[in-house]
Amino acid sequence: MNVRISSKINLRNSVIYIVFAGIFALFSIILFNKGFLSPDNLLNIARQTAMISIMAVGMTFVLCVAEIDLSFGAVVALSALVTAMTLRATGSIPLSVLAGLGSGVAVGLFNGFFIAQIGIPSFLVTLGTTGIVSGIARWISHLQSIPIDNDAFVFVFGSGDLGPVPILFVWTLIVAVIGVLVLKKTAFGLKTLATGGNKISALYSGIKTNRIKLGVMVLNAVLAALAGILYAGRLHGARYTLGDSDVMIVIAAVIIGGTSMFGGKGSVIGSVLGALIMGILNNGLILMGLDVDQQLIFRGIIIITAVTLTMREKKS
Amino acid sequence: MEANAIEVRNLNISFDGVKVLEGVDFTLGVGETHALVGANGAGKSTLVKILNGIYHKDSGEISVFGSSTPYDSAQGARERGIAMVYQDLSLVPPLTVTENIFLSRPPFRKGIFLNTAKAHDEAVKILASLGVDTVIDPDSRIEDISVGQQQLVEIAKALSLEPRILILDEPTASLSNSEINVLFRVIERLKGRGISIIYITHYLRDIFKICDRVTVLRDGSVVLAKPVAETDIWELVHEMVGGQAETSVVWKRTEPAPGVKPLLELENVTTRSIRDVSLHVFPGQVVGIAGLLGSGRTELFRALYGLDRRISGRIVVNGREVAIRSPSDALAAGIALVPEDRRKQGLVLDFSVEQNIMLPILRKLRGKMLLSGKKSGTLVDHYIKYLMVKTQDRRQHVRYLSGGNQQKIVVAKCLASEASVLLLDDPTFGVDIHSKLEIMRIVREFAAAGKAILFVSSEFKELAEFCDEIYILKKGSVSGDVRRNVTEDQLMQMVQ
Repeated sequence: MNVRISSKINLRNSVIYIVFAGIFALFSIILFNKGFLSPDNLLNIARQTAMISIMAVGMTFVLCVAEIDLSFGAVVALSALVTAMTLRATGSIPLSVLAGLGSGVAVGLFNGFFIAQIGIPSFLVTLGTTGIVSGIARWISHLQSIPIDNDAFVFVFGSGDLGPVPILFVWTLIVAVIGVLVLKKTAFGLKTLATGGNKISALYSGIKTNRIKLGVMVLNAVLAALAGILYAGRLHGARYTLGDSDVMIVIAAVIIGGTSMFGGKGSVIGSVLGALIMGILNNGLILMGLDVDQQLIFRGIIIITAVTLTMREKKS
Repeated sequence: MEANAIEVRNLNISFDGVKVLEGVDFTLGVGETHALVGANGAGKSTLVKILNGIYHKDSGEISVFGSSTPYDSAQGARERGIAMVYQDLSLVPPLTVTENIFLSRPPFRKGIFLNTAKAHDEAVKILASLGVDTVIDPDSRIEDISVGQQQLVEIAKALSLEPRILILDEPTASLSNSEINVLFRVIERLKGRGISIIYITHYLRDIFKICDRVTVLRDGSVVLAKPVAETDIWELVHEMVGGQAETSVVWKRTEPAPGVKPLLELENVTTRSIRDVSLHVFPGQVVGIAGLLGSGRTELFRALYGLDRRISGRIVVNGREVAIRSPSDALAAGIALVPEDRRKQGLVLDFSVEQNIMLPILRKLRGKMLLSGKKSGTLVDHYIKYLMVKTQDRRQHVRYLSGGNQQKIVVAKCLASEASVLLLDDPTFGVDIHSKLEIMRIVREFAAAGKAILFVSSEFKELAEFCDEIYILKKGSVSGDVRRNVTEDQLMQMVQ
């Protein structure tokens, strides 16, 4: 019995690699003539997935601590707008980036306070926060795009290349590596997993579980804010609609990556691979010439299929 | 000749390559009450889970009332007349007694609606057949009745399936003495109706009161199978532990040397549930807390460990008053707790042995920035060896360890935190005798190193044998303090 359990766990951990390889191989064959494998296209995928990957790293921690965050999509827009507006007003890159990240910290503290201190379910808190934050984003921008014309900013935060390597890829790599180390190799990571795995035992072991939950909500909001700043740099401007459609994709990427929705178990590498799967899917469906409606339908079907594959053994 | 209720021949099963049952033969006669005993990890639970269709055997034969058609689900077991009453109660707390009793069978209907009147009457009938219809109201919610009553409802639930074979897994573990007597009368009634019973227990004395035959498992094999009348408690204990361990704990009482200051002092500690509790523990002492369920013994620990807010009173450790508002404050003050419920409060079941032990001491395991795998590995391996934990290695998930070994991991966490005061809340509950003796040995060594132990146990015999001093707790207050040798019976009288 235990033999079967452990081999299933291994299978579960490796399913993400199999799904990844499968989708990649499939598109390589079907879309070979449409340039799926061309270096340009692959770099493009890396650029398009960067923000999803970064947010997926944060969401991994949130699911590991057995909470959920629906408000990070709104944080993307708020942070992008705050950064763009501060940059326009002051011309200072450090100040504008700090302002953008600061908006993330503020939302994270707000969420964390109600979840950890007051004890309201994260689903409800962050649903509420989504409304508040999107409202603020629409209000401060008057529903207008705010352009960015600072070349240094757009180079570092999204549009630049270091030799052949897109700078967004570098950002992804940095966040992913730090994420892996923090989750698996630091006290904070182990405390996060323990709090999600069994909150009472964690508390009895002297872990301040409320503080850990607060920390995780802030971490996730800050990473979403970083994603917002990168969107602003890549698109040369910010708009209140940024991040809207990312919420479902990021959560799906993390779950496909093997992180438990019930806390206590998670993989940052899995989440990044999950995000790449989402990126390849997006890219492949466009190259196939599907229109937006069809893309949405296909993406939904593929997400459900992939999650079904990775969660199959949960039933027993 | 009529076939036996259950006949098991040469049964084998392995988990993770480890043989858990090897060549087990087991016979349950019709109408017989058969005790199944053994140390934790001996394979009792595994055997009955196979019989109940939950685990799948690797090889061997099982026949039920002469039919050896295989089945591989609880449903299959049910169709053959087997019902099981689990150790962890499987009731739904917000539902009523009646609703719970009929949870595992199709509901009574009237057209498309539920026939609640019929369900109520049927529930009363089942409870009456157990002779407990006057004790349990079928309309009360499970969360509002006592654990003892819940246990009886659990049996009623199993009986709603009209089984011919009933498996009881540690039914007395959480019951008070009077509740146990009620349970035994119920078992007698079931016997009278010709129901065959497999009775798993750690309480060997009970076997001689209600069982006809006994089978002893040790390390996955049957080492003894006899009519109860032909054996005695010493033989059972001997077969269970395989003659490797002492059969009783001998303990010399330590009097504090004159002039030594207490290591732990409580002065008039008051919380929502305890009142004006004062006590002290000297270095090297094991101090017991004797009290019935609800006397405030667990609540006293909750106050000491920062889980319940203190309204007034002082806690002094090593001569210094400490402010304890959370478990992390308690650990920082050198107080560690082995909690009552190891699975819910002591362990993260999906964590490895290593990760569990690391949790309270993460600060000490830090390298420059990251956790040092080398430090934790050495430390954890040391405790696995010192506590003789039966585990593959430190990466094994604690979920798959037996109860006794899980408890050792909880103890290891406390030792690793280098506490000077250890609070033990019923540390040997549901633990086999072998692990129990080992845990006692560790506790003794801990005290001998000049540290202090506060000890709560549901077994007064253990307190009487083990403690240097015993405080009697009644309704949240200390009502007495015993410093001489006492017997179990005397203690029992004092707490009433």
